[in-house]
Order: sequence, then structure tokens, then C-alpha cells
Amino acid sequence: MELTPLLVAAVVLLGFTVGLMSAMFGVGGGVLMVPFMVLVLEQSQHVAEGTSLLVVVPTAIAGVVAHRKRGYVSFATAAPIALVGIFGAFIGARLALQIDAESLKTVFGVFTVITAIRILLDGWKTRRAEGQALGG
Amino acid sequence: MSPRSELDSSARAITPIKTLAIGLAAGLLSGLLGVGGGIVIVPLLVLLAGFTQKMAHATSLAAVIPIAAVAAATYAIEGEVNFVIAAFLAAGALVGAPLGARWMSNMSEGNLKIVFGSILALMGAFLVWS
Repeated sequence: MELTPLLVAAVVLLGFTVGLMSAMFGVGGGVLMVPFMVLVLEQSQHVAEGTSLLVVVPTAIAGVVAHRKRGYVSFATAAPIALVGIFGAFIGARLALQIDAESLKTVFGVFTVITAIRILLDGWKTRRAEGQALGG
Repeated sequence: MSPRSELDSSARAITPIKTLAIGLAAGLLSGLLGVGGGIVIVPLLVLLAGFTQKMAHATSLAAVIPIAAVAAATYAIEGEVNFVIAAFLAAGALVGAPLGARWMSNMSEGNLKIVFGSILALMGAFLVWS
């Protein structure tokens, strides 16, 4: 793969979108970056994942710096989650070699959709309450 | 309610056991399935710990930094990182992130929940069908 100026522009634009989404929604953005790197930039799945993870670090730092100014970050909560999370990721990566991750992916997907519905319902309720607060 | 008082009430609501459970779930699932930590951490902070949606997004982002750093280092050691692509992606992301943070703070809690819930539903559906 050769990085033409047009392709570089597309990569920077994708990065911009990832930064925007990541800071807005608290997620890394690997969902957008990995497929693009595999399909368009012809990187291997592993290199795409590794590169995506590396990009998440400065992106998340920039998001946290901006959120912190507005008082939205609880470091007291984030620090233990990160510590246990690193430990859990190591165990998870080992377990992945031994169990059928495909069926687990489906179970987790279903669970995620149910969770999403709960948050959506919660959102409608909150919106109604916010509307009333504005009206009253 | 000001963000500061949101922070105080959210921080009181979460017990150490819940924090550890959220971290373990996020780590295990990302190691097992290759999903990012945020897809697990944000909903759990909201539904289990009673965080506001805005606090959950910002706090999840902070928790993801060291997790992604350690994971990226293990890939880099194996030579599985393209630093040129990473630099161009990061250049764009560093411009987008502050803008995204401002947009989030300007959104109402209800609208943010609806947009996040929609994205989460899409991610879940993608996991089921992929």
C-alpha cells in the first residue's frame, strides 16, 4: 500500500471523526479504525488492532483533558477500573485461546442490545422530564 | 445541577466492589472479544453505578487510557503497529477530541442517552451478526 496524498487526507479525516466520536461517547473508536485499515489501507488484522489501540491513547487523553475542565471526569472511579481492567484483559486474552469466543460474542451482542434499549428508554424519560423542566 | 455536584454525588454512589466488577468485566470482555472497554464501562457506570451519562462517558475515557496503552505496547513489541498510519490518525483525532468534548457538554442528558443508546444498539447488532 502506498500512502497517496488523497489517502493521507482520508486517514486524517477518519482520525478527526474518531476523536469527535470518542470524546462524545466515551468509546475508543476501534470500530471505525480497524475495518478501514484492513479494507482500505491493506493492513493485517493484527497491525490494524495494534495501530488502533495506539491511536486510542492520545485521543482519549485529549478527550479527558477537555472533559476535566468541565468537571466530568471521576479519576477516583477511573483508576481502579483501569487497574483491574488491565489484569482482566490479560486473563481474557488467555481464555480466548481456550474457549469458543464466537458464541460468546453473540451472547454479549444480545446483552448489549438489551442494555441499549434500557438506555434508550431512560433517554426518552429524561427528555420528557427535561422538557417539563424547561416548560415549567 | 453543576458538573461538580454531579461528580460528588456520582462518586458517592459507587462502591469499591462495583468499581472492581466493572473493571474486571471490561478487561475480560475486551481481552476475549477484542471489543473496546468503553462499550462495557459506559453502560455499567450508568446502570450499575448511577453515573450521569456525561460523567460516564468522560470517566470511561479516562479508564481506557492505561488499558489501551498496555495493550498497544504488547502489539508494538511484536512489531504489529504501523506508526505512520497511527501518526496521521492521531493528528486528526487530536483536533476532533476537544470539539467532541464541547459538543457532548452542550447536549442535554436525555439526547445524549438516545444517541449513545442508538450507537450501542448498532454495536450490539454488529456483534450478533459478525
